[in-house]
Amino acid sequence: MFWKRTTKKSMEYAESIIDTVREPLIALDQDLRVVSVSRSFYEVFKVYPEETVGKLIYDLGNKQWNIPKLRELLETILPKRTTFEDYEVEHDFATIGRRIMLLNARQIKRVWGKDRIILLAIEDITERREIETGLEKANEELTDLAAELNRVARAKSEFLANMSHELRTPLNSIIGFSEVLCDQTFGELNEKQEKYVNNVLASGKHLLLLINQILDMAKVESGKMNLTLSHLSIKNLLNEISMLVEDMVGKKKLHLALEIDRDLPDIEADELKVKEIIYNLLSNAVKFTPENGKIGIRAKKSDSDIEIVVWDTGVGLAPENMEKIFEGFFRVDTPYSRVTEGTGLGLPLSKKLVELHGGRLSVLSDGLDKGTSVLLTLPIVSAVGM
Amino acid sequence: MGKKVLVVDDNANNLLLEKDLLEVAGFTVFEAENAADGLIITRREKPDIVLMDVRLPDMRGTEAARILRRDKETADIPIVFVTSSVMAEGIEEIKDIKKSGFIGKPINTRTFVEEISRFMKP
Repeated sequence: MFWKRTTKKSMEYAESIIDTVREPLIALDQDLRVVSVSRSFYEVFKVYPEETVGKLIYDLGNKQWNIPKLRELLETILPKRTTFEDYEVEHDFATIGRRIMLLNARQIKRVWGKDRIILLAIEDITERREIETGLEKANEELTDLAAELNRVARAKSEFLANMSHELRTPLNSIIGFSEVLCDQTFGELNEKQEKYVNNVLASGKHLLLLINQILDMAKVESGKMNLTLSHLSIKNLLNEISMLVEDMVGKKKLHLALEIDRDLPDIEADELKVKEIIYNLLSNAVKFTPENGKIGIRAKKSDSDIEIVVWDTGVGLAPENMEKIFEGFFRVDTPYSRVTEGTGLGLPLSKKLVELHGGRLSVLSDGLDKGTSVLLTLPIVSAVGM
Repeated sequence: MGKKVLVVDDNANNLLLEKDLLEVAGFTVFEAENAADGLIITRREKPDIVLMDVRLPDMRGTEAARILRRDKETADIPIVFVTSSVMAEGIEEIKDIKKSGFIGKPINTRTFVEEISRFMKP
């Protein structure tokens, strides 16, 4: 009696273990008939106890388990080895569709007899495999996309180089010959001829400026614009540029005010680029200020930056145009500025060049005819290249 | 007789422009519209300087320059690349050619002669 009770107890013990396992688990006798299966087996494979226990494994679920690879494992491989791990079987089940399973098998000799039982754990890796395949595919697509982006970037920069070359070749003739004519190297021109050829020259130079600015914009945007940093006396630079616009200022009878702090420190920056920025802003101020108006530069130190304001009493900006002016090719048409005077790229490019230095540029205006101030900061010590 | 200069450029207008500027300044100007002719004229005339376009119909101006550098007779003739390839790649291409200079197009006609004179022996 005691013996029977122990057997029953250990049976219950074994079955409770089998039921606890999350993966489907089958125990087979040596004739490959099902002794016991885990609850998860019923759930996963949608079969019922009455059509399972005592049946030949191949006959389960209406002979759905008659799988050649399973037969091979149970009949050919297992008799030679007592355990087998991660044996992959793929099978299309009528009830649950195509599944990929990893089988782990183990033969156990019963203590009280010569029979063996076979434990078969089934790990359903269909979803995992799908995720893996999906990841692999996504990865491949990503690699393709990166290659495509590289190709596009290369094509774009080749296109720009070609465009630059193709436009410069005819411009060399336009600017060169009209310059020679202007200089009257090969004979005198009458007043009208001189005026017209000057127009050709000015338009040619305008076109060249446009090409250069477009290329610079493209360079900044593709991260190919490099700064050549040096220690720069910003005080001297501001004085120098204001002298450069003296002619323009004089022609429009403008008053130019310079307020540069005595203790304005030198900065670390790209001299040519900073000159270009200040020149752009100052010539905008001249362009958009009517005769007898005022323009000016204020510069001071502000923490670890220097702060420069280029201001004017000119046409100002309507609130709705505040953002548009940075979009490129936006120009305010005013009685004071002919449309052909600017490229519409000076301000967006200046902003990008300031930002490349690690500074900021913003535009302030109280509205139409209320003047404009451009505020820019440049770090005293550059963080670029650190 | 003035100094001898060879201008190699496949664009007839640009060739004429450079020729005019140089002749006004007293140079004797030879012209070639492709690299092959440029090489022949260089060997025959031994000019004081060669002005070379980079994109030529038969080969790149830089390749022609390397051929001239390999020839003892022409190895020391200064070569100035007058080119529309002003972007980084263009400048990179010519930087290892000895005794060479670079002038980007469009040229400044008012300073052109002075610029190329700087590359010539005094």
